[in-house]
Amino acid sequence: MKMFWNRSLIVSEAQGYSIARDLVRFVVTAVLAGTGFAILLAVTILGLALVAPPAEASSGPAVRNEGAPSDRPGDQTSGSFLMRVRPGGEYVRSPVLSTDVKFKVSGTVARAVVSQQFRNDSQDWVEGIYVFPLPENAAVDRLQMHVGDRLIEGQIRERAQARAEYEAARERGSLASLIEQERPNIFTSSVANLGPGQTLTVEIEYQQTLHYLDGMVSLRFPTVVAPRYIPGTPQSEGKPSGHGWAPDTDKVKDASRITPPVLAENEPMRNPVTIHVELDAGFPVNEVKSRYHPVKVQKRDDNRYEVSLAVGPFPADRDFELVWNPLPGAQPRGAMFLESAAGESHLLLTLFPPFGVKADDKRLPREVIYVIDTSGSMEGTSITQERAALRLALGQLAPEDRFNVIQFNSATELLFPSSREASVKNVVTARRYVDKLRATGGTEMVPAMQAALESPAKEGYLRQVIFMTDGSVGNEDQLFKLIQRKLGRSRLFTVGIGSAPNGHFMTKAAQLGRGSFTYIGDVDEVGEKMAALFGKLEHPVLSDIVVDWPADLNAQSSPEKMPDLYLGEPIVLSALVQGPLKGKVVVQGQAGGESWTAEFDLSTAHDGKGMGVIWARRRVEALMDSIHEGADREEVRQKVVEIALKHHIVTRYTSLVAVDVTPVRPEAEGYDAEPVPTNLPDGGSHAGYFGSLPKTATPAELHLILAILAAALGFMVYLARRVS
Amino acid sequence: MKAGMRTMLVLGLICVSAWQAGEAAYIYTKAWLAQRLIASAWDQARSTGTAVKPWPWADTYPVARIEAPRQGEALMVLSGASGRTLAFGPGHVAGTPLPGEHGNSVVSGHRDTHFSFLRELHKGDALLVQGANGSVARYVVSASEVVHRKDMRVLLDAGDDRLTLVTCFPFDSPVPGGALRYVVVATRDRIPLTRI
Repeated sequence: MKMFWNRSLIVSEAQGYSIARDLVRFVVTAVLAGTGFAILLAVTILGLALVAPPAEASSGPAVRNEGAPSDRPGDQTSGSFLMRVRPGGEYVRSPVLSTDVKFKVSGTVARAVVSQQFRNDSQDWVEGIYVFPLPENAAVDRLQMHVGDRLIEGQIRERAQARAEYEAARERGSLASLIEQERPNIFTSSVANLGPGQTLTVEIEYQQTLHYLDGMVSLRFPTVVAPRYIPGTPQSEGKPSGHGWAPDTDKVKDASRITPPVLAENEPMRNPVTIHVELDAGFPVNEVKSRYHPVKVQKRDDNRYEVSLAVGPFPADRDFELVWNPLPGAQPRGAMFLESAAGESHLLLTLFPPFGVKADDKRLPREVIYVIDTSGSMEGTSITQERAALRLALGQLAPEDRFNVIQFNSATELLFPSSREASVKNVVTARRYVDKLRATGGTEMVPAMQAALESPAKEGYLRQVIFMTDGSVGNEDQLFKLIQRKLGRSRLFTVGIGSAPNGHFMTKAAQLGRGSFTYIGDVDEVGEKMAALFGKLEHPVLSDIVVDWPADLNAQSSPEKMPDLYLGEPIVLSALVQGPLKGKVVVQGQAGGESWTAEFDLSTAHDGKGMGVIWARRRVEALMDSIHEGADREEVRQKVVEIALKHHIVTRYTSLVAVDVTPVRPEAEGYDAEPVPTNLPDGGSHAGYFGSLPKTATPAELHLILAILAAALGFMVYLARRVS
Repeated sequence: MKAGMRTMLVLGLICVSAWQAGEAAYIYTKAWLAQRLIASAWDQARSTGTAVKPWPWADTYPVARIEAPRQGEALMVLSGASGRTLAFGPGHVAGTPLPGEHGNSVVSGHRDTHFSFLRELHKGDALLVQGANGSVARYVVSASEVVHRKDMRVLLDAGDDRLTLVTCFPFDSPVPGGALRYVVVATRDRIPLTRI
């Protein structure tokens, strides 16, 4: 090549200068040299690509499940993102909302007052509709509507009746507000006839028991309903049941009620939240800390603290969590609270671990199925947390264990067709697979849950399913039913990932799966939280738990049958008791092959407010669960309504409604329903949640243009040589 | 500047030019060659009745064949619409029904290779789709529009049986990664067909 080049130059010099000849010569040379090079390059790359598998494919053998999705019709589902688009900037007329929450904690019970302030900045009359989350075990039992200095107390009604009263007030122009439950952890707050420039506050109160886990009491307050994936086919007939971005589907009939509109990508965040906690731990506190928000902690005495946000309101885009633990040795054995009224008493008994000896050290081989949500809602910080957690989990496997990894988004993919032994080779394969997990697509959870629970369980192995997800789906009930039907010998441990996981799904799936739940809200927590989970994976530490009541006492306890307890979990028991409050409650169980007993004298119980509400809430939950087991829906509904009306609590079938009598809106002026838009959960992205159409352009043309530019530049340099 | 250096520079630029031309040629060749391999795998699969991978390490497999008689195009549709798959052929978007099945089946392809013919598809044009079971369905182009890449309405079930073809827009932009998509909707034609 070089020889030819030099000779051609010499020839041109001998014959005198001509630009046309130069161009021809350059082009001939360039085309010859270039084509040769290009062909060589193309053939090499193509040859390499076709002869040797590309690196990505070679590293993980059997990356696809052998039974490819199309061979298994059960895996092909037709759900999609199903977004009813509302272009950005359309929420100018929706009321501006801010939330203030005041907690009073005593022991492991919290009472919260949630004030939602709706302000109408528009020139029109509006109906404000706000879909918001509460803890999954919150018993909402009070509603007050504040307008100016007036206060209207809410009444508990059956859902349809409450709605009718609210709508009647709305149509005649009166102020009204309504609290409805969509899921145990999703509620809708509606306010009617909010006038131009007017401000109205809806005050909701709820009671809950706090989670106690691994030596920590946790007060968790969700602030945003993350966009849920809605499987199924849209139902086109009839009006949608709500104002959300998703249409109702055959699988999620109320989808439009649980999918509040989301702010457009570049809009500033809305819905500020302030939080204040008055804490009476019931024991000397070692440390109080907030996991995700900076807080100011003021100590009143050993047991009592006051906590508020350190830097003003935060946007409603992630859960708030406050945790505290007792001073070493100061841990009480348990606590009993009693509320008596009208011949009946409600009791709440909490027993703290540890219980007896630690489970025996004989480690049974395990078959662990890791199920990982790689749908678009996990994109961003969530998938990073998942990968880190999975890497740790894979490192925990012993050589005699068996394992498999299942990832799911729109489709379900198994690393191995069935579980394999945890040999170094298999674990390395899995680790590579995990490193390459990417989050995209829908959240078709049913096929993944099926694959995890259905794959044949090896005899002689403890079978554990570790399910990592944010739970952002609308078809929870369908999944619960599946878990109940298919669980068999497996135990299901849920790991809630991200800044706004679906607490209802996490706790209920773990309860039905007879495992436990863990939350990871930040990548820094992965180590600590996963270590606690590994401790639980060994065995339940307390099983066959039985509660004996004094003979002359009629007790109706919830749960009716105590679940097995894992390391670090407490016994929490709520009961309705009738009869003389004397004698002892005896709790017995099996711990590591030995029997374990604890006794509580009923006369030592402390007075506690709101124990009845807690019992009612737990009773309603048990009744609602019985629907998955096949109980008659109408029968359950009647029982739930009866309890809910008596205890004044909001359920799927009962709502709180507050109505003002005097009309305020002139009849001539209409009103518009304006849903309050929500933020995206922290760390997530629009493209992740709502998807994006595939990228479909190659850089081929760009390459061609660059090729021509480089050639032209080459010719100019070649010419420059001439000129100089 | 010394003559030698200048010569080297000119040679270097020619090599860069050739490298870029090669990259472009690689993309086009891959797109073309893969379709041939996939087509033969498809025929083989249809005659043997089992799924055949177009090349031994392929992480995708053909799910349908789309033919546009007027444009003289025939394309093998692959499973999944990831960037790696799209280099070999149009990809079926996971979560939507397969081409030829009930509902809204969405297929996306590169605007500058396989799906460059979309700009010539007009209302009324026919598309023939052969599914994995060999049955052939006829679709008629009913609409085309330009949408934003976040407009997921395109994936919605519209209550009818349709094929939605998606590619990037504008067609002639040399730079990939734009925000717009060109969408062609073809509705199922109920005249029964037996073969292509």
